[in-house]
Amino acid sequence: MHLIDQYAYSNALRRLHPGIKAGLALTIILLCLTLNEPAVGMVAALWMLGLAVGLARIPFRTFAGILLAEGTFLLLATIAVILSFSLHPSVLVGGWGIGVGPIWVSTSPASLYMGANLILRALGAASAMNFLSLTTPLVDLIDLLHRLHMPAIIIDLMTLMYRFIFVLLESLERMVRAQDSRLGFSGSYRRRMENTAWLATHLFIEAFLRSRNLQQALASRGYDGGDLRVLPIEYETDRRLLVLGLVGILSLVAVWWLV
Amino acid sequence: MSLFTFSAVTYRYPNQTQRPALHDFNLAIPGGEKIAVVGRNGSGKSTFFLHLNGLIKPRQGEVRFQGRPLDYSRKGLTALRQQVALVFQNPDDQLFSASVFQDISFGPLNLGMSDAEARERVLEAAALCDIEHLLEQPTHALSGGEKARVALAGVLAMHPDILAADELLASLDPWGRLKIREIFDVYHAQGKTILLITHDLGLIKHWATWVIVVHEGKAAFSGRADDLLGDEAIMNETGLVQIWRQAMQSC
Ligand SMILES: Nc1ncnc2c1ncn2[C@@H]1O[C@H](COP(=O)(O)OP(=O)(O)OP(=O)(O)O)[C@@H](O)[C@H]1O
Ligand SMILES: [Mg+2]
Repeated sequence: MHLIDQYAYSNALRRLHPGIKAGLALTIILLCLTLNEPAVGMVAALWMLGLAVGLARIPFRTFAGILLAEGTFLLLATIAVILSFSLHPSVLVGGWGIGVGPIWVSTSPASLYMGANLILRALGAASAMNFLSLTTPLVDLIDLLHRLHMPAIIIDLMTLMYRFIFVLLESLERMVRAQDSRLGFSGSYRRRMENTAWLATHLFIEAFLRSRNLQQALASRGYDGGDLRVLPIEYETDRRLLVLGLVGILSLVAVWWLV
Repeated sequence: MSLFTFSAVTYRYPNQTQRPALHDFNLAIPGGEKIAVVGRNGSGKSTFFLHLNGLIKPRQGEVRFQGRPLDYSRKGLTALRQQVALVFQNPDDQLFSASVFQDISFGPLNLGMSDAEARERVLEAAALCDIEHLLEQPTHALSGGEKARVALAGVLAMHPDILAADELLASLDPWGRLKIREIFDVYHAQGKTILLITHDLGLIKHWATWVIVVHEGKAAFSGRADDLLGDEAIMNETGLVQIWRQAMQSC
């Protein structure tokens, strides 16, 4: 959370209108979902990687690392599609397999293709999502939703929740450190459990008190119910992302067409 | 005429079992002064401040503002809060948006300003508090002192007549304090009133034009600094005398 948030605020595309970034990411995701070709997913992932590293100046290792983690997860999830398990060797017809005890584990070109298709397209969509979350702070996305006339209650809740995540995270860090420095987590198992329970209780109480204080502070600045009104953020436009994004989208369609 | 008058105000928090936070609190606050509010931890200073903004209502007694009893209706409170601004003890309680820029714009927009006017106010307040470089930063990446300055900018953008700041200087470095004191002096020169809760007794002597001492839920003293320092009974009763001697020795 912290890491993604840091890049979101410091990347080279930070000041760009979130509509462009979100529009690009959503289009790529939609294409990955609808164009039924593994190559589409692969090209999408490469494009997003290129844009994130080249334009947004996200370190290659960061972007690739996240993608790798997601890929591993997807691979595990698609094992059931790629491999089939049976008690009869007949499944081997038109494929390859080995016997493990009484069970035959096998795969076939068709199921391999299906697995690759799933993994690559999911990875393409995931990389578009990564691109968006690494280049766009949540405040910009909330601002975008507001511009798109999302109901104010949802916008306000998102604003407060996002802020509170960090306020409470800070409290938690502080409390853990305070316990840790007094050896709170190095005692017996029982003692550690007690301390953890204490943390949970106090974090809950803290959240409650904080929300009351926040409400007072909002009221003192003239808030009397209704929407939390703030100014819209001002953005820049960047032709490069617009053009390259468009080329990327077209290339996905072209790949799908040609393969 | 006093700006605020507290007569026999008593306030007890809902879950408070010991003595009430404020008990038989009597005080007249003059307008146009730089006021230092001092007192020990738990003496009731922050509770007293919450009354200035109508955020809490006395259980007994009465608060008057410019001669009239505080109007706790929605309209009355809105009118009051346009004039009186509070900076809270903990800036994390005050900053609700992850965007510094948007957070500062909140007050001016609540005053009913247009976007253009509000934007102007945000930039002006940011320049005043030296936080222009932070406008693009997320709130949660700021240090304690930076948050305090953003919180101050958030209320200065509303151009209040009365500014009440709860321990604002505590988290600031010496440069930050100097800057804020300059801002206060500018405000004071415009005839506005500043109340500052502080544990820095040096401010009584070198900054404040008026001093309020809160002691065990009561206003033990309200007057000029020299009168306080000359009043042995009060100095002894509130324990200020030891602290004061030490402060003077170290100077
Ligand atoms: N929300 C609350 N619920 C219950 N009791 C409270 C609450 N806030 C404050 N108190 C109590 O009321 C009394 C006065 O508190 P207050 O915060 O006004 O003190 P203070 O003078 O601002 O202290 P400090 O210098 O530590 O900020 C204290 O005894 C405190 O424990
Ligand atoms: Mg206090």
